[in-house]
Amino acid sequence: MPGSSVPRTGAPGQRPGPPAGPVQSDTWLEMRGITKVYPDGTRALDKVDLAAAKGEIHGLLGENGAGKSTLMKILSGILPMTSGRILIGGREIALRNTNDALAHGIGMVHQHYSLVPTFTALDNILLGRGAPLSGPARSAARARIKRLMDDTGLYVPLDVPIEQLPIGTRQRAEILKTLDRNVSLLILDEPTAVLTPQETEQLFQVLRTLSRGGTTIILITHKLPEVLALTHRVTVLRHGRVVGTRPTAGATAQDLARMMVGAERLPAVKERRPQAIVEPVLRVAELTVLGDGGTPAVRNVTFEVSRGEIFAIAGVTGNGQTELIEALTGLRPAASGYAYLLGQPITGVNPRKLYEMGLAHIPEDRHRLGMVAQLSIMENSILGVHFQPRFRRAMPGTLHWGRVRKYARDVVRRFNVITPSLRTPMRSLSGGNQQKLVVGRELSKSPALVVAGQPTRGLDVAAAATIRDLLMDMRNEGRAVLLVSADLDEVLALADRIAVMYEGEIRAVLERGQFDRERIGLLMGGVGDGPAAG
Amino acid sequence: MDPRPGDDQAAESSGAADRRRVVRDAAGTAGQVLLAAALGLIIGAVLMEIAGYDWTRAYQGLWLGAFGDPWSVADTLASATPLILTGLAFGLCFRAGYFNIGGQGQMTVGALAAVVVGAYIPVPTPVAVFLVLLAAGAAGAVWSLTPAFLKATRGVHEVISTIMFNWIAFYLALYLAFYSLNDPQSAERTVRVLPGVRLAPLLAGADATAAIFIAAGIALALYWLLWHTPWGYEMRVAGLNPSALRYAGASPVWTINWTFMLAGMAAGIAGATQIIGRPPTYALYGDLSNLGDLGFDGIAVALIGRNHPIGIIASAVFFGALGSGARMMQIMAGVPLDMVRIVHGVIIIALAAPEVWSIIAKSLVRRRAARTEPVSAQAPNSPARR
Repeated sequence: MPGSSVPRTGAPGQRPGPPAGPVQSDTWLEMRGITKVYPDGTRALDKVDLAAAKGEIHGLLGENGAGKSTLMKILSGILPMTSGRILIGGREIALRNTNDALAHGIGMVHQHYSLVPTFTALDNILLGRGAPLSGPARSAARARIKRLMDDTGLYVPLDVPIEQLPIGTRQRAEILKTLDRNVSLLILDEPTAVLTPQETEQLFQVLRTLSRGGTTIILITHKLPEVLALTHRVTVLRHGRVVGTRPTAGATAQDLARMMVGAERLPAVKERRPQAIVEPVLRVAELTVLGDGGTPAVRNVTFEVSRGEIFAIAGVTGNGQTELIEALTGLRPAASGYAYLLGQPITGVNPRKLYEMGLAHIPEDRHRLGMVAQLSIMENSILGVHFQPRFRRAMPGTLHWGRVRKYARDVVRRFNVITPSLRTPMRSLSGGNQQKLVVGRELSKSPALVVAGQPTRGLDVAAAATIRDLLMDMRNEGRAVLLVSADLDEVLALADRIAVMYEGEIRAVLERGQFDRERIGLLMGGVGDGPAAG
Repeated sequence: MDPRPGDDQAAESSGAADRRRVVRDAAGTAGQVLLAAALGLIIGAVLMEIAGYDWTRAYQGLWLGAFGDPWSVADTLASATPLILTGLAFGLCFRAGYFNIGGQGQMTVGALAAVVVGAYIPVPTPVAVFLVLLAAGAAGAVWSLTPAFLKATRGVHEVISTIMFNWIAFYLALYLAFYSLNDPQSAERTVRVLPGVRLAPLLAGADATAAIFIAAGIALALYWLLWHTPWGYEMRVAGLNPSALRYAGASPVWTINWTFMLAGMAAGIAGATQIIGRPPTYALYGDLSNLGDLGFDGIAVALIGRNHPIGIIASAVFFGALGSGARMMQIMAGVPLDMVRIVHGVIIIALAAPEVWSIIAKSLVRRRAARTEPVSAQAPNSPARR
């Protein structure tokens, strides 16, 4: 929908407005040809260039896995780069660790704060600086922090333990802690992910103030309205490469969304057979789920998944998908609302019971949930179904390892898991083979509903293709598939319907045939359409 | 998509390959243990050489004292008996991911229960022995379930609570042994258990009784539980990946409680074997000296036995041998008891080192992983244990 006007604001409470303050155009920070290759051969960054002027707020935009965080970890001395140069004020610098970076005035505020919950804000801010606990030196330190608070507007009650402060205030303490190291380049990684709209607006005010004072700010984000509201320039990364750098003033949300999601590179998948019967298998109604912080991560979500359908949830990770899956698979309670599997309520039900009701769950984080790395292939093949009578002897309780072996061997063969033996520990397999075993185990349950979270993340092309085909087989056999994936191409190739999730809400549901890559990109970035029911 | 019946011949051949693999793994572990033991003996020899003792005669004495004649073997086995059980009490919990430091207290209340039931309930022998073991096991289970319950419901760390329960048990036993259960004829100990429940020596004049079979039987039963039942499977999953346990539909609360209960029973029965299965006392000393530090020694026994029930039996016998060989080391080589203890300590450290190192390495890897992988503020909490 190029040409149509899209409002610049997405998140509530966010003011539209021109970027703050004038900026000197001369380059101060320069990253040239940054390349990062991980030991396993993954090329996370490929000759990335980035430049920023003094006092500039520079947005770093991209999908999951685009390389934003990796690039900034290199700049803050956390990760070493494979090749490339970093210059500040024209002089090349070497960053071996975070102390080197701080010495050059580069500080990063991470998504997950490094604060001691039981210490006061002041103790946290001074932590690691060898600050005295009392006496005149401490008074001086306190005065210095107070001055910093006055200069920046980052007010924090200094004598209250961090754990008693709201998230937004904790973040201020974290920023103060970084600024107290005389930082002239402040990197913020998705700083608004955990903030309320009011806290977000306050943070933006502070960042504008800092920018006017000459601090350069790099903002990692995937939210288009934030980029448009706050930054002077924006660099878009995709698959570890720079797509382009634009002055924000001339850019539109559509341009940026297009740059972010890129051209279609749909993976080939198996033929989609027409399904005559529409019959809901999973019904979710007005479901709200709390995140770990106690605030709603899934907000009032409603949708249905029919048999013979792949219903995909697209979105940048961290927008409530994980919590939604957990609530539907018995791992997290629902705060309100309903979910039914074949007419039976499933919220708050034990996973084992759900598996018996016809649920298969391919977990998002297979290492954490789906497998036990130290146990053998055989033992992993019955995780979750180990209580079923078919794996037990007549003698009460005992496991029948002969039957388990047969079953494991069957899964290994049918799903083409490559392993030297059934007793090989799971951790000795490649990621693709581990995932094939997990997927094989789940799909062997003859499920009515398959919930698949990021099923191909981190897999090689061949393994990913196998797993996509298996999901399509499930659909063609008349089972319901709920696919959650941050890979837009995968979603577009597999889905019969796509729901886009942003900040815990389903923003729109699109039918196959009306899939519009750019519109989905905008929705993923928080622009367009309000909450929708599917 | 139900599993098809498989090809049995292939199953056999892959089964054989798997069995070879198991044998190879076991041989590797055994080799590692022997190497560590040899290293410990060499360092011990060097120490004795420096201190001016004849280490060849000392080790000769150690061997003779531990295995030189049937009575020495019986002595070794008698010392091993309670260590097998307290070793299991630690090892089982460790398999499920918990540190049960409370074996000492669980054993102490088990011994108390054994004295009470054994001395005051007159029933025919087999029933009486069974009753004593049951009461001791139940007492140990109660002692371990309280910390388990606190852990499961309130998140109280089990190391803290089990240590506190050790002290409660210690003073409770001191009090009861002096004021309630003491023998009017013999003030230094409690009343003796009735003759019907006293397990007879396997060999006239030796310390070992049928208690060794009770201990070994419990070890085998726990081995069976861990590797051949769904509950044991869940315990092992709990110890290796607690999140996967929830995914598998098991309740972490139940797993904690079951594991601690069984561990407490093993430790409680260890207390009972010291009362009914260790001639000639058949009572609890007022200073609890016939319990000693057996509960704490169980931790070392379990670590050296790689927290595997069969390994724990072997490890306990090794500890027993060190104990019963100590006397002959002193007699034959004139090595003072303190030196004997130092040499024992060196051997034990050398044996425990690989296991301790793997625990440290594991936590280092975990910490490194936590540092290199970005943890978003919204990511679900990683298991906050250990």
